[in-house]
Amino acid sequence: MQTTEHHPKAALPLIALLTLASALGVTVAIILAGLTMLLAAPAYAEPARTKEAGFFLRSRGGDPVAAPLLATDVAFRVSGPIARARVVQTFRNPHDAWYEGVYVFPLPESGAVDRLVLRIGTRVVEGEIRERELAKQAYARARAAGQRAALLDQERPNIFSTNVANIAPGETVVVELEYQQVIRYDNGRFSLRFPMVVGPRYISTAAVPVVADAHRITPPVMRPGTEGERTNPVSIRVTLDAGVPLATVESAYHPIDVKERDDSRREIVLADAATPANRDFELTWVPRQSALPQAAWFAERVGADHYALLMLLPPEAARASRLPREVVFVLDTSGSMAGASIRQAKEALELALGRLGPQDRFEVIEFNSGARALFNGARDAEPDNLRAAVRWVRALEARGGTEMAAALRLALDGSERSNRVRQVVFLTDGAVGNEEALFRLIGERLGDSRLFTVGIGSAPNSHFMTKAAQLGGGTFTYIGRIEEVRGKMGELFAKLEAPVLKDLQAHWPEGVQVEAWPARLPDLYAGEPLVLVARLDKLAGELRVRGQRDGSAWEARVPLEEHATATGLGAVWAREKVTALVDSLREGASETVVRSRVIELAQAHRLVTKYTSFVAVDKTPVRASEEALKRAEVPTLLPEGWQYDKVFGELPRGATDSRRSLFLGMLALLLAVGALRLRAKPW
Amino acid sequence: MVSRRGWLFVALVFFAIAGWQLGRGVWIQTKAWAAQILIAQAWAATLDGRQGAKPWSWADTWPVARLSVPRLAVERYVLAGADGAAMPFGPGHMHGTALPGMAGNSVVGGHRDTHLAFMRRMRAGDLIEIERADGTRASYRVAYAAVLDRREMWVADPEGPTRLTLVTCYPFDALGVDGPLRYVVVAFRD
Repeated sequence: MQTTEHHPKAALPLIALLTLASALGVTVAIILAGLTMLLAAPAYAEPARTKEAGFFLRSRGGDPVAAPLLATDVAFRVSGPIARARVVQTFRNPHDAWYEGVYVFPLPESGAVDRLVLRIGTRVVEGEIRERELAKQAYARARAAGQRAALLDQERPNIFSTNVANIAPGETVVVELEYQQVIRYDNGRFSLRFPMVVGPRYISTAAVPVVADAHRITPPVMRPGTEGERTNPVSIRVTLDAGVPLATVESAYHPIDVKERDDSRREIVLADAATPANRDFELTWVPRQSALPQAAWFAERVGADHYALLMLLPPEAARASRLPREVVFVLDTSGSMAGASIRQAKEALELALGRLGPQDRFEVIEFNSGARALFNGARDAEPDNLRAAVRWVRALEARGGTEMAAALRLALDGSERSNRVRQVVFLTDGAVGNEEALFRLIGERLGDSRLFTVGIGSAPNSHFMTKAAQLGGGTFTYIGRIEEVRGKMGELFAKLEAPVLKDLQAHWPEGVQVEAWPARLPDLYAGEPLVLVARLDKLAGELRVRGQRDGSAWEARVPLEEHATATGLGAVWAREKVTALVDSLREGASETVVRSRVIELAQAHRLVTKYTSFVAVDKTPVRASEEALKRAEVPTLLPEGWQYDKVFGELPRGATDSRRSLFLGMLALLLAVGALRLRAKPW
Repeated sequence: MVSRRGWLFVALVFFAIAGWQLGRGVWIQTKAWAAQILIAQAWAATLDGRQGAKPWSWADTWPVARLSVPRLAVERYVLAGADGAAMPFGPGHMHGTALPGMAGNSVVGGHRDTHLAFMRRMRAGDLIEIERADGTRASYRVAYAAVLDRREMWVADPEGPTRLTLVTCYPFDALGVDGPLRYVVVAFRD
């Protein structure tokens, strides 16, 4: 209650107070720091808030801004089970210099590429199949000599590259390639899928050099928003002759215009004639129920040989009592999944968790730069565990690299279980470059588990999805939009829960020489047909296909003489055989033998393979040797829904907030002292 | 008006906040420097042949190199991983880039207010010495510094001439930690 006059010496106790308070605070802090470091159990004072950015390799060499402009036009001709595609790549050089353009692009992994044509104005040059190194040399010689040339290489079954040399300033050069494939049939729907962009791939530098050709599968990527003139426009036209009356024709990811020609024929084009090449195109058509046969047998005569295709649809299985399952969900949470993809994957996973029954056991694994399991071993699918899993999944964030090998090692341990069906469901976009190493790992550690792949997002790596599922004895599905999750996952559950048709064998009639692929018939899931291609010397007798489902035997008989016609079966058969030969490398076959057999086949059927490429050279040189030739890689778009910064990462964050804390602390101290002053001298 | 007791309460509250924030700030700094002492011991063990020697039993990182800048009398132990787990305790080596002392680009990130605060005093021509896990040494000479956006990942490309790239947040005196800028110093193998 005493009033004090303000006099200068009041400052002294103030300073003393300040010093005492800060000294006290500092002392306490140091004691706490020391105690914590010495005595604390393995728990972090600060959680790892910033995980390390993923390191996706960006292509070097060539200036994307200076690259030739590219437009792609695709025309499909679908006839029954076969689709033939012509892909026209138009390279335009808007610069003053001579250019060589390089374009890395995807094609369906089962496509048989059997034609290359180079067009310059009215000049047409047909490509030739050569052994890969020889083709490269022929191309390099032509490039050096100033001749226009094109080279088409296969880097992966679903990644190809076009090199076009000596495009004059202001000139336009056109490269046409053709391929064919078998239409996919699943659960009552036919589908045609055309990928348009190779998404950036994670190249692990942990084990060097696992991916020796990384630079050939990672084209430069345009940062979204900087495209401007360079949007890689694509136009697609499909002439569909389904062979059966159609109920619906739909495009999953692009708006289309459909013209109906008759009951079974349609003409389809993309509504936007300059669609950006940043996501897969998928066309599906559903036949009217009554019209679909159980067995479809197509044949084509080429010289002395008959090439044939069988699509056999076993009848629906009666719903048997379910064997208890152990389901391991593996979720890719790498940087490439950030954005739309991780949302789709999380929703799919939540739906899947909801489908587990009380007799099932489950585990959830997430992986990016490393792999982490939620539980330490599978747990019973009871509400508490499921709730914990859903919470955990919801909190996951997508960032970092894609170390899929680590996840595979966690999920597959090579063991065999007799009383449970073990299913491993992989949800990923497959954006990796080390597919072969992963396939070998699956082969080694599968045991009696079955591996299923769910390809997520706008541009999943279909080669990885299909081959991993094939090696894993499972099946694959794609989810490209959040609206598809429920439907697609529902179909997958039906397959996971229904008994499988296994031990399938094809018994060909006596006296017929047959070579059929695949040699070992895969197990079939609900709604899936058996597809095989064969080369025969005559069509006589009856093919019998036998299998086992849920203990009971099944047989189908196909008379060989009664066939529908189809064209292009020779190329399809050769492609299947090449795939089987290349697969045998994984099982230890001699590379020299495989290579020579593949080259022989590829040259007979004019196929691009791992060991053969197309090269087209225009005889007349056009560029004088004094003129320089620049080389540029055509940049690609980032797949739709991907987040550029999450994919390509950031520089490390190098700051703590200690300085901010000290600042705030000093501020609070001053305020505290101020309050004391006001207490002593109230106003 | 506020009573004397009221002001006392306010003062106590602010003292509590001050203690907490000052304590926290000091704790972070103390941790950073005390850790380096423990890591020095782990480094000695690494030189003796122990691989991945952990500085304390629950550490999930380990020293991969010793970095020193003679002119500034600075010595730091570089840890594995440039992420939130390692960087409070020392500069971190970014996975995927070359290890310090190895061929190619070696990227080391660290905090501007603790271990890499010396970066603001670096000049072109400065010598940086790296001691590798096997005891051998490598020298680097600072060529340039740059302020970059954190998304400019080209500077972290592991290929190319052998060099050391140090990265920290920028500006040095800023209080916020989520800024987009980085201060990068590149030193080429001498």
